Amino acid sequence: MTKNETTKNDTVRNGAVRNGTSKKVMNKRMGIILKSLLTRWDGLIASIFCMLWIAVSIISLVWTPYALTFTDGYNVWSAPSSSHILGTDGAGADVFSWLMAGSATELLIVCAVAVITAVCGVSGVAVSVSRNSGVRGISVVTFDALISIPIIVIALLCAAPWGASIVGVIIACSFAYSLNLMRVVRPSAITAVRSPYVTFARYKGISEFKIFWTHILPQIIPSVIINVSFASATAILAESGLTYLGVGVPSHIASWGRSLSTAANFVTIHPSVALWPGVIITVAVIMINLLGDALRESIDPLTNAELRRS
Amino acid sequence: MTKKHRQQSLSAQLANLRMDVDSSGAVDSSDASLDETLNQQRIKRSSRVRSIWWSGIASIVSVILVLVALTLGYNVLGASSASGSVTIGLQLAPTNLDIRNTSGTALDQLLIGNIYESLLTRTTDNTVSAGIAQSWDVSDDRLTYTFHLAENVTFSNGDALDAHDVVWSINTMMKEELQGSTQIEGFESVEAPDAHTVVLKLVAPYSQLLWNLSGRAGIVLDKDARYDAKTQAVGSGPYELSKYEPGFYATLSARDNYWGTHKAQTKTVTVRYYPEPQAALNALTSGDAQVIAPISSTLSKAIEHDSRFIVRAGEDTDKYVLAFNNASGPLTNKSIRQAIRYAIDNEAIIASRGGTDAALGGPIPSLDPGYEDLTHVYPTDISKARSLMREQGYTQEKPLSLSLTYANTYPAEIGQQLVSQLAKIGIRLTVHRVEFATWLSTVYKNRDFDISLVDHNESHDFFQWANPQYYYGYDNKRVQSLYSQAMQASTDKQRDELLAQAARIVSEDAPADWLFNYRVMTTWDRNVTGFPVNLNQTWMPLWEVRVR
Repeated sequence: MTKNETTKNDTVRNGAVRNGTSKKVMNKRMGIILKSLLTRWDGLIASIFCMLWIAVSIISLVWTPYALTFTDGYNVWSAPSSSHILGTDGAGADVFSWLMAGSATELLIVCAVAVITAVCGVSGVAVSVSRNSGVRGISVVTFDALISIPIIVIALLCAAPWGASIVGVIIACSFAYSLNLMRVVRPSAITAVRSPYVTFARYKGISEFKIFWTHILPQIIPSVIINVSFASATAILAESGLTYLGVGVPSHIASWGRSLSTAANFVTIHPSVALWPGVIITVAVIMINLLGDALRESIDPLTNAELRRS
Repeated sequence: MTKKHRQQSLSAQLANLRMDVDSSGAVDSSDASLDETLNQQRIKRSSRVRSIWWSGIASIVSVILVLVALTLGYNVLGASSASGSVTIGLQLAPTNLDIRNTSGTALDQLLIGNIYESLLTRTTDNTVSAGIAQSWDVSDDRLTYTFHLAENVTFSNGDALDAHDVVWSINTMMKEELQGSTQIEGFESVEAPDAHTVVLKLVAPYSQLLWNLSGRAGIVLDKDARYDAKTQAVGSGPYELSKYEPGFYATLSARDNYWGTHKAQTKTVTVRYYPEPQAALNALTSGDAQVIAPISSTLSKAIEHDSRFIVRAGEDTDKYVLAFNNASGPLTNKSIRQAIRYAIDNEAIIASRGGTDAALGGPIPSLDPGYEDLTHVYPTDISKARSLMREQGYTQEKPLSLSLTYANTYPAEIGQQLVSQLAKIGIRLTVHRVEFATWLSTVYKNRDFDISLVDHNESHDFFQWANPQYYYGYDNKRVQSLYSQAMQASTDKQRDELLAQAARIVSEDAPADWLFNYRVMTTWDRNVTGFPVNLNQTWMPLWEVRVR
């Protein structure tokens, strides 16, 4: 019943893409998606937060209230005041400046993890639903085996030869989250693969790559978005955890995890210094998840009526 | 078809975690019906909201209840502590108890003066006093030392301790080059003319001998006892070891048949190791431990107004040595080393640590022979430092890159402050905080460093500066000759003067910056008395500890 109609709907959609008007249609769709994203309360808040985050990161590259090399040994663990908005840490450095500079590092990690996870994850899905049953079987077993490697072990493996570095954090997070994505997205890809239109396309001799790109990818995009947003959000948490353990971002580079770990030893004496990075990490994680959620709902014709009508 | 259908709705559910798509209206291409379905779901959802709220509140309340129950239970259990026993919380645990084969001051701290005794002992201001040897004579040429041992000395296993045990202990140590053997320089022989006299002969005078014999070099072991030295200990001290769990705790029980005046005042003393400072503080406040040494001055702020506890800073010989690589690299240049010493604001670093540590301008701390206040040699003077750097061609715009490597057991804040202070004079410092083992291999063994930071806590360790093979790579013939003269000096006064002279030269050469003399903070329960405050990280006699 529903199957055929979805199929028809999809072929119509893909037909439009293939036509010369595809660019116009795409632009229109983008407009609708953006509009519905910004009219949702969660999408709006999350978008504003991300804009702010990007702005702060860019500003921090050229200016912070205090230089990162500033320390004042006579004014450590000070409470928030007019000269230090969020107070100072145990070395007498300005907490706000370090958090500001940390936001750029964090943004880099989040973007890199999101892009790598999406690319590797989707490629993995493509392999795991390939037409060749041998490749399919081996890839599924491999992913299932690799998924058992904890993120901390990968981070340690990266940190052992090269020392703690941002690249290590990105590799560790992307590795683990790509596998997660493959695992979660594969069922919806399989549903798409088994649909009559893919059978038909294969029957017509269209290349596997093109089939994946035009027929399967649009079906799995919503769950990919959710997974990528989840991965980006969790990457922030992973960075803080790994940095705390000394295998994440090296201590001379600002990051939220570093700010948190410098305060962690004295959290009972000076809770406020641990509070700020804690709050910013929590808010960022929530916002990225909200953004992913809102984006998914806006991009999926099932939930966005306007997009369906276009 | 139905299977596929189920899969599709499953994937839709997976994709949309916030929406419960039920199978009846899962995928329908008609707009109106879809909107209708979504509306229905919205209604369903709102009716569900209340129950979600209730279950949320219920789960939060239950979590809080469990936490409260755990906290109460923990405090009730933790508050019980038997009388006549004291638990002492320390930080660094020895890996085993084999004091003759294992280095590290954690062993001296735990065993010497408690389980093992040396020929001589120390006072709280780090001078030598009588121990197993009640008195001693030194020949005029300072080559022969005659020790007169106390009578009726016994080991904890009941064996008598006599001169033959002393001779055997020193001889095996020297022959097998065990720990402490380097501390008897110019050793010739040791003999026992009778059961209570020991004669030790040297080939050259050695002014540090007596102090060394109050430590590892002078430990007297039972030559007839057979035991596993890694987990057991048989000595003549006021306590015997009743239980030992490597890395966790050691239980010491008072000996009833102790021979001397240092009879233990408390029946059972448990030494427990807390690598995490916060865990140590928690143990103190919950009553699990009655003494904590060391406690960081930042953490001590939590209890400084708590009338149950006393917090004191002791005098110590811990030197935070910011050592430069004097053998290779840019720091072979004396002007740069001097500039760094002028740039470092030691007072600010001390202030940031709570202000309890003492400024130290040279290699010898106040409790060691040859101490002299050298803090005025390189006062903080940024403009002088800048001009020295400018002469070498480095400015803030064109900085010199240096790396600082130190173990992550020392605070990150020190590194951060040094980065900040050196940035002002045109040095870009990169800090590598590494595992202690990594520091040992890269810095200490392979000399692959620019600047290193270590807490050298040993006492009487000026020999480091007279040894060009040491990792500092500091080679100054004048210092070496002054040091060997000092070691052969005829009186303590002469030795102290020579050492002070050598220390002044070392400080002026700027082969390192002595950031501060770390004064260990100790905190204890008001009911506990007699715990040593000075030097307790290397020398911790517990016989006087008493609990009210």
